[in-house]
Amino acid sequence: MPMRTEEQPTAIAAMCLRRTFKGGIEAVRDIDLAVSAGEVFGFLGPNGAGKTTTVRMLCTLLPPTSGSATVAGLDVVGDGAAVRRSIGVALQEIGLDPVQTGRELLELQCGLYGITGRSGRERAAELLELLGLTDAADRRTKTYSGGMKRRLDLASALVHSPQVLFLDEPTTGLDPASRLTVWDEVRRINASGTTVFLTTQYLEEADKLCDRVAIIDDGRIVAEGTPERLKAEMGHDVVSVSLNGADPDATQSALAGLPGLERVMPEPGALALYVADGANSIAEIVRRLDRDRIEVGAISVARPSLDDVFLNATGRRLEGQEQSQEAEQ
Amino acid sequence: MTEVLLLGRRAVREVVRYPEATIPTLFIPLFFLAVNIGQVSKTFPSSTPFLRGQGYVAFQLPVSLMFAVATATSGLALVTAIDLGYFDKLLVAPIRRSSIIFGRLAADLVRGIGGSALVLLFGIALGAHVESGVAGAVVIVLLAAMFGVAYAGFGILIALRTRNVQATQSSFLLFFPLLFLTPNFVPFDRLSPAMETLARINPVSYVIVGLRSLVIDGWNAGDIGIAIGVIVALGAALTGLSLHTIATYDR
Repeated sequence: MPMRTEEQPTAIAAMCLRRTFKGGIEAVRDIDLAVSAGEVFGFLGPNGAGKTTTVRMLCTLLPPTSGSATVAGLDVVGDGAAVRRSIGVALQEIGLDPVQTGRELLELQCGLYGITGRSGRERAAELLELLGLTDAADRRTKTYSGGMKRRLDLASALVHSPQVLFLDEPTTGLDPASRLTVWDEVRRINASGTTVFLTTQYLEEADKLCDRVAIIDDGRIVAEGTPERLKAEMGHDVVSVSLNGADPDATQSALAGLPGLERVMPEPGALALYVADGANSIAEIVRRLDRDRIEVGAISVARPSLDDVFLNATGRRLEGQEQSQEAEQ
Repeated sequence: MTEVLLLGRRAVREVVRYPEATIPTLFIPLFFLAVNIGQVSKTFPSSTPFLRGQGYVAFQLPVSLMFAVATATSGLALVTAIDLGYFDKLLVAPIRRSSIIFGRLAADLVRGIGGSALVLLFGIALGAHVESGVAGAVVIVLLAAMFGVAYAGFGILIALRTRNVQATQSSFLLFFPLLFLTPNFVPFDRLSPAMETLARINPVSYVIVGLRSLVIDGWNAGDIGIAIGVIVALGAALTGLSLHTIATYDR
């Protein structure tokens, strides 16, 4: 990933940005953001956290209730038209027109951005080729698979080579292979100099793609930084004890007072122990379980993940929610 | 202007590619024209004074023309785009929001011309004679299509206000009282007093009378002028409201 420096200009800035919907629902509560030009910035949070509302405000689709924001140096309220010329947007709901073929859709999109005639046709063909959709270009978009639709949506956001690209949950609902394709595209787009603001509920996505992430929960940003820094700030290891049928309460009691133990988190079929030094704690954990004749399964040590960061900031896990949402889908 | 043309072409493409959305709106007026004539042509023979020597089909033809062009198709297309998220894609493009409306209306004009030409030809096949000649027939088609464009603003308005497919679809039902509280079967002076009062305050009546004058009377500047005035006023009001609604959408 490219190195970021303090001197880089700000591509996106938000100051005390707030959006309250009818009925007093506070979707976004006074958030501050600063995204440097050329960054891939991840906006991580569960469903309903305020990610999409934030994106809609930054894309000029929704006015803030209070606060201010600039994108590409332009005010999202006062310079809405100029902002729209500077950004590309692929929203969570894939905005494809089922009436048109992929080629027609891109040519229309080019036209809406002032790229008309031969230039528009060439740009559409170039993007279709780039995103591997040339073979399907003359089929109506309603016949496309989910991955193809997402790629075409991405292509339609890129017709005018935007300075800033907003991707709202670009991989939600995609199979793993399509997800990797989208990741590759995001990296390629960013490598060409485009700033990417990406919302996601996938920890791995934020970890692998983003230079920096902000974690949003209940409309507030609860943590922000590079994934590495956020994880390093946790300052502990995670020892996972697979219960393998053992009583969780008895296991927890046996491990109470373990040196360096900061927190125990019960998980389905396991206990997660947050300890200062994971490797050196394992012997003591085994000794205590033997002493109390508790038979458990595998014991493993891991460095903290972004999910641990999320847990630390919000008191609950994102990963479980993510899985249950996928199961619902 | 370019964006209106681009969005209009896309909307016309939609009309062509989804004939199932247009065919029912044409079948009903053709069906009613045939059935109504079959039922009352003996009651109103060509010797009836208000028919001026023509068959009853000439009198009914404008009603079917109105039926053919007054649809909620554009509203439905718009609310579907809202549902699919394509509308957001358009809103975030650097175009005037009004071009989304005008693009839809361009397709309504094309659909209206095609639909009203078909109904007119069907009426002629059933024996109607256009007294104002070929030029009059062209004006009939254009006036009917323009009424369709004006009325389309209502469906678009409901779509933008409610963002609901069912509500937009139901909005078409409002056209039934507007169409039937008119001198649709007999002239104003043959209606009961109460019906005549309602028909005279219903603007749709004057569009029917204007179209009918071109079929039965020839060139009657007064009736045609009033019809054009009603179409322009209705279009200005409904399109104006739609433009205001899209300008303030999520604002």
